[in-house]
Amino acid sequence: MKRIMIDHEKCDGCKNCSIACMQAHRETEGTVYDLDLTDPRNESRNYILKDADGHYRPLFCRHCDEPKCVEACMSGALSKDPKSGHVFYDETRCGSCFMCVMNCPYGVLKPDTVSKTKVIKCDFCVNAGEGPSCVASCPKQAIYVEEV
Amino acid sequence: MKYVIIGAGVAGIEAAKTIRKRDGAGEILIVSADTHVHSRCMLHKFIAGERDEQGLDFSEKDFFSKYNVEWKKGVRVEKVCPHTKEIQLDNGEEISYDKLLLAQGADSFIPPVGELRKASNVYGLRNLSDAQAIVKEAETAENVLVIGSGLVGLDAAYGLLERGKKITIVEMVDQILPVQLDAHGAEAYQKLFENAGVRFVLGRKASEAVCEPDGKIHKVTLDNGEELACDLLIVAAGVRPALACLEGSGIDCDRGVTVDASMKTSQEDVYAAGDITGLSGIWPNATDQGHVAGENMCGAAESYTDTYAIKNTINFFGLVTLCVGRIKTEEGDQIQIKEDKTQYKRVILKDGKVEGILLQGDISNSGTWQYLIKNKIDISGINKDIFDINFADFYQVKEDGGYQWR
Repeated sequence: MKRIMIDHEKCDGCKNCSIACMQAHRETEGTVYDLDLTDPRNESRNYILKDADGHYRPLFCRHCDEPKCVEACMSGALSKDPKSGHVFYDETRCGSCFMCVMNCPYGVLKPDTVSKTKVIKCDFCVNAGEGPSCVASCPKQAIYVEEV
Repeated sequence: MKYVIIGAGVAGIEAAKTIRKRDGAGEILIVSADTHVHSRCMLHKFIAGERDEQGLDFSEKDFFSKYNVEWKKGVRVEKVCPHTKEIQLDNGEEISYDKLLLAQGADSFIPPVGELRKASNVYGLRNLSDAQAIVKEAETAENVLVIGSGLVGLDAAYGLLERGKKITIVEMVDQILPVQLDAHGAEAYQKLFENAGVRFVLGRKASEAVCEPDGKIHKVTLDNGEELACDLLIVAAGVRPALACLEGSGIDCDRGVTVDASMKTSQEDVYAAGDITGLSGIWPNATDQGHVAGENMCGAAESYTDTYAIKNTINFFGLVTLCVGRIKTEEGDQIQIKEDKTQYKRVILKDGKVEGILLQGDISNSGTWQYLIKNKIDISGINKDIFDINFADFYQVKEDGGYQWR
């Protein structure tokens, strides 16, 4: 499967990846230049965390080999696609219980801020063209796609 | 090889899938009382009328044909005979097996108070059949009495609110959701339910309930003498593993069916997974147990190791909560609380380790707490606000790009 690889030493915390993710998943039409960063409906699926010493630590869904989020899903909304290996989320089946949020050992998932009915989860930009938008936007090549 | 699985809950379904991946040719049969594969965690959505039977199905599309699994539904197992390697159904049929999985779950516990067990308008909320019966009874019932304010009791109330019923919830202790929340966290949900029209009677027990000539209970007397009128009762006082059909089978049981780490019971070729083991009532654990049992029924040597089960999430009226670990405080605890108008967070620390976390309002990116608690990780050396601790503080990336806790 294809995975977004992370070279965290290269990350300088610019958060272009987060903005690209917000842009790729916005409900409204438009370009990144008119993306409303203050609209809580525009949420990023990736995060640049900082450890206690201020080092940047990119947090991206791993589409795990044995995904704990899928194991916790009581509605069938989360599933690992046998073809691509990616973990996909079907909003229409979701029961909004958020056991997946609890069960991700890396803390990647969260409920959507506005309605608390959906999970904010990386979809590898399958609907947004060629490959993950975050990767295309990283000026440091700290993230890149590789077959694993 | 013939694999027989009793129960079509997540443990049974997961085991069937696991077996099929390992054994392409073996015969797999699921036997269940349930006539629809359904998620018990969504029964309130059925009662509310938000979803139909199909909408509760958690399994993959065309599961049975895709994995070539046969399904006998609407039948109950009456007897399990490990010595002759067969099970007996309530329709008289006998089915032989090479490997058997007990995954028939648990039954609602109706306490022996008054005539609760005899009345025709008293229901647990465990199976789709319960939810269907409740919906039917609710067609004519106006006053609903729910006994127990745990997640199941509140689920029932939530669903029936959508049907415009007058609901009273009786709870033994002096707060709702006593297993999951502290008093402050519980109050937030109590207010939301009260604003929606539910009345709570806390710190009280039902002490008398008598059937009237129509076979129904129309009033329940509490231990302070107060009488509550009702036409429909839902008892949410916990569940008990469904062990009845195992009597005389020689399969060792304690609270549930006793299993070793491979999910094998005391009898050869008989495995158990899910709520029937009494190990945990939590969905991900049942999935894991079903997976491990399925692997081992095919001759693998897997163990059920991620056993931690004191964890839950709650979502009513858009107020979300995560609670993992200990909820009651004790002497020597260090408590930290953070609260504003949108959230309430409380952590219980002891000797530098997190023993309990409660997050209400915002549970974003909170999956790391379970890991910290169940692995008893010392966080005293991390120079951060405790609520800002996250995976960055334990960050490691493996060669294949996967994360690993440092």
